[in-house]
Amino acid sequence: MEKALSVKGLRKSFGDRVVLNGVDFDVAAGEFVVLLGANGSGKSTALRCVVGLAEADAGEVAIAGDRAAMVFQQIHLVRRRSVIDNVCAGGLAGLPLSRSLSPVLFPKDLRAKAMACLDRVGLADRAKDRAGSLSGGQQQRVAVARALCQGAGVLLADEPVSALDPAAATQVMSLLAELAHRDGLAVAAVLHQPDLARRHADRVLGLLHGEIRLSTSASDLSDVDIEALYAPDRVFA
Amino acid sequence: MTARKYLTAAIVIVVLGGAHVFAWQTTEVSPGALVDGWRGMARFLAEALPPDLDWDTVVQPGLEACLTTLAIGLLGTTLSIPAALLFAVLGTRGRNRIVYQVSRSVMSFLRAVPDVVFALVFVTAVGLGPFAGVLALICHNVGVLGKLWSEAMDEVDPGPADALRVSGAGEAQVVANAVLPAVVPALVGLLLYRFDVNVRSSLVLGLVGAGGVGFLINQSIQLFQFDQMATYILMVLVLIVAVDLLSAAVRRRLG
Repeated sequence: MEKALSVKGLRKSFGDRVVLNGVDFDVAAGEFVVLLGANGSGKSTALRCVVGLAEADAGEVAIAGDRAAMVFQQIHLVRRRSVIDNVCAGGLAGLPLSRSLSPVLFPKDLRAKAMACLDRVGLADRAKDRAGSLSGGQQQRVAVARALCQGAGVLLADEPVSALDPAAATQVMSLLAELAHRDGLAVAAVLHQPDLARRHADRVLGLLHGEIRLSTSASDLSDVDIEALYAPDRVFA
Repeated sequence: MTARKYLTAAIVIVVLGGAHVFAWQTTEVSPGALVDGWRGMARFLAEALPPDLDWDTVVQPGLEACLTTLAIGLLGTTLSIPAALLFAVLGTRGRNRIVYQVSRSVMSFLRAVPDVVFALVFVTAVGLGPFAGVLALICHNVGVLGKLWSEAMDEVDPGPADALRVSGAGEAQVVANAVLPAVVPALVGLLLYRFDVNVRSSLVLGLVGAGGVGFLINQSIQLFQFDQMATYILMVLVLIVAVDLLSAAVRRRLG
């Protein structure tokens, strides 16, 4: 399969603390990969380096189409603005300043594209509502729509369901899997729930102490693998 | 441990007490002088009451002057918005250090110079009158409002801005579509608060010749017409209360 995202030898330290110690992974178009790992294992930092929110000390990141889209645990919508205006904001890159300083200036084709993205996540009927008035799960789907509106081939998700109830979490995970399998996006999500990874992902990567220690198809993910990732001291003692 | 606590408390009390003794002496506080001089105050109040409510010579000019005062405060606030916004955005944390320091310094300077001093400077340029007051308020208000606004912007959640940066949006697009929408309610609240303060400041500016009801108050004191002064002060009271109620009502609806 074609690699849409390729990360090689990613290194990052904060002071003396090595967070990423040479991380390599690929995600193919149409594939849904989940990164598992304990707190502080470097999962989120890896994603932030890929999208440029953190600067890696060393390593190469190759993204098909140059730029990846991302959704966040804290969702990060502008709560006072309407749902559709939030989705439009994903497509601002490349717009002239004169058309992007306020939602009333957004061009028609951007609104049409945003509406299609909102329809894709099943929330077209909420377009005019204030983003802050939606439930957490709905807001995360709006955030996914905003990422889609960017038009990137690679979608990253940093703990997208950690703040959601189980039903909403399942809905968002199904959406991410669909975007990979039906729409052909390369999707990589950092998760804390191995069960969700098993049910929705194609492949699971495990990070420990800043290195990829596990790479397996989701169906082969065993409890022993998970133990090793989340309680390494107990397993190796 | 408790002994040290007592010692600290004792030192704080001694230092604070000393500061107040020093302040008492420096400001020549003298209750005796106040008691001895009660006749002066009584005479002053007797002349001020009842207020002079003559329509043609006092009330009508007073109302017109109140409108002028309000207008100085309004323009002084509104016309300072563009520059205040610019310096506020440039003065938020996480920006280029030089840009940050320069804009913070400009705002500090504008804040440090009292609006009365600005008014005296502008009176020499454009002459006595309300226009000098407007210019003075703009200068001072850019410093104060810019600082209040940039602090409000610093407190805003950086998440939505990060989300737009990831998508490749430019810095101006990020500010317009993530930072500003999140802070606008706070910014409008602070703007109304400054309008409130500026209307009161424009009274003081009137005392140094910048027109408005402050100018009339000054004039009536110099001519010993304290009953006219009392009328003007009553009008000021109503004006200030009205502006305060208005801005409080708008801020409540924003919150």
